[in-house]
Amino acid sequence: MANVVLENLAKIYAEGDTEEVRAVNGINLSVEKGEFLAIVGPSGSGKSTLLNLIGCLDVPTSGHVFIDGVDTQGLNEKELTRIRREKVGFVFQDFNLLPVLNAFENVILPLRYLKVAGHERERRAKEALDLVSLSNRSKSRPSQLSGGERQRVAIARALITNPSLVLADEPTGELDTVNTCRIIEVMRELNDKLNQTFAIVTHDPMVAGYTRRIVTLRDGSVESDLSQQPADLHCDDKPSI
Amino acid sequence: MLKVILRNMWRRKARTFLTVFGIVVGIFALTVLGGLSARLTQQVKGAKSWFTNSISIVPTGGSLFGGGENQFFTLSKVQEVQNVPGVKEAIAGIGLLVKSSQTFSFGAPDLIIGLDLSRSQDLLKQLHVDKGRGLTSGDRGKVLLGSTLANKLGAQVGGTVDLRGRQFEVVGILQPTLAAPDTFAFVSYKDALELFFKANPFITRGQPITSVIYATWDKGANPEVVSNRISKQVSGVRVISPKEAEKQISQFSLIFNAILFGIAFIALVVGGLSIINTMVMSVSERTKEIGLKRAIGADTRTILGEYLLESSVIGLLGGLIGMGVGLLAILLLNDATKSNNVTVFAISWLVVVGPVIFATVLGTLAGIFPALRASRLRPVESLRED
Repeated sequence: MANVVLENLAKIYAEGDTEEVRAVNGINLSVEKGEFLAIVGPSGSGKSTLLNLIGCLDVPTSGHVFIDGVDTQGLNEKELTRIRREKVGFVFQDFNLLPVLNAFENVILPLRYLKVAGHERERRAKEALDLVSLSNRSKSRPSQLSGGERQRVAIARALITNPSLVLADEPTGELDTVNTCRIIEVMRELNDKLNQTFAIVTHDPMVAGYTRRIVTLRDGSVESDLSQQPADLHCDDKPSI
Repeated sequence: MLKVILRNMWRRKARTFLTVFGIVVGIFALTVLGGLSARLTQQVKGAKSWFTNSISIVPTGGSLFGGGENQFFTLSKVQEVQNVPGVKEAIAGIGLLVKSSQTFSFGAPDLIIGLDLSRSQDLLKQLHVDKGRGLTSGDRGKVLLGSTLANKLGAQVGGTVDLRGRQFEVVGILQPTLAAPDTFAFVSYKDALELFFKANPFITRGQPITSVIYATWDKGANPEVVSNRISKQVSGVRVISPKEAEKQISQFSLIFNAILFGIAFIALVVGGLSIINTMVMSVSERTKEIGLKRAIGADTRTILGEYLLESSVIGLLGGLIGMGVGLLAILLLNDATKSNNVTVFAISWLVVVGPVIFATVLGTLAGIFPALRASRLRPVESLRED
């Protein structure tokens, strides 16, 4: 069974009285479990809207989103919340860590919403921080972490519930080349190890180059959908001057 | 959970402090007034138990505490009252202020009450003597003192006290009741009459007078019915039945409690609005965080609960501090007035716990609107916020 299936998916925003913006305009797409794909396209092509629709953060104007075979059409807010909680992990461009919580507490948060028992929560949070090599920073607040470290915390948070799908919206948008490479490296490793689906929205060709499938959007529609051999990662290489 | 809420509050130290301070002021006022009200309730209860033991008959226009020094009637009225069916004993009495210059007092004034001792044993039996003995028929120059007054005058059983320039031997001191009889000095009618004439030299002596008549009733008689009969049969008097005395005394505390509720209401409005304001600001500041929490699986109820808890904590904090400061003020003020033998405040469980519960409930209620707002935010839109 495909992990994500989109059928004639559309999201239309009313703008003014007569104008309407077709942010997502009839997309059909199928993503298998364990895929590592990039969604690219110019600004305003509907990348983020598409990601929000897949992640059940937003509801489509028409069409269907199937997550692990479940049609999310017509689900109420409570049921959509449950899908987000159980099936989806989010990673954002600006990390979106809670400033009052340290790395460990940020990572553990989704498990609290899942009502996982206390000791189990802590064990899994340690594990998740281990996966992103941040065990030594677990007591640090976001303000004490570098951008790359913050994004790794966010990835650990996205993975802790063991979701079938990780959605990343410009995860490297605020990072330099070296950190971008490391974040992609972490995600690819986790994708290999845990076989979770990763869908990464990006406008960075380097990031897209590291994925196995590139879906290009233009004006809310799929312009191209290509599989590729991902580029090799050499993160410690200093960029040549 | 609580840790997170406290950290969130700490993020905006100044604003949190100001909001909590707003509650503190209101709750402080509430606590202090609560203490005042508790003390008043004690006094009212005591006063009721004393003043409802008998029917008080005063000259028209007189009050519960006797006719005052310018209003009195002749002794023949005592016989008239005595003749009313149902009246067991009509007792001639004279009420005089201990200090002629006393103009204001908290609760009952210090009073010299002269009673016809041969007839008032029933009435005096209601008083509980702590030290010494009660007054007996034929006592002259003797005084039975209420506990507060005894303290104030530094009186000892067997010693003497000066009342309006005359020396009285202290035969007994009453148990403290925290109320009316505590500030009374009971003497014989004749002694009081002499003091009365001395204080009012223009009144022709020889004509025995009385400023108040206390009437007790026959066993089984309804004091209200008896009171009614007295006012019908005896002219030129105002009859204060036990029920009416109770009403008058209650009225006093009712007015006070109305003021108390007024203050509580102001505290409610001011404190509540300031919490609402703070919470609305918190919600809009943290819109993005709310969106994030929703994205990673928090449902609307979780968000609602978090914000409600936060505003309850603000209320609780303000309540605890306000009550603490109020309690401290009560203790200090009571200590300061101790030397004057006046107790202005009483502390009860209600005074301590009431304001804290009030503030917490207020905080919770004030949080409802902002919390609902937070929980109804759409995840996508909140995440887009900066």
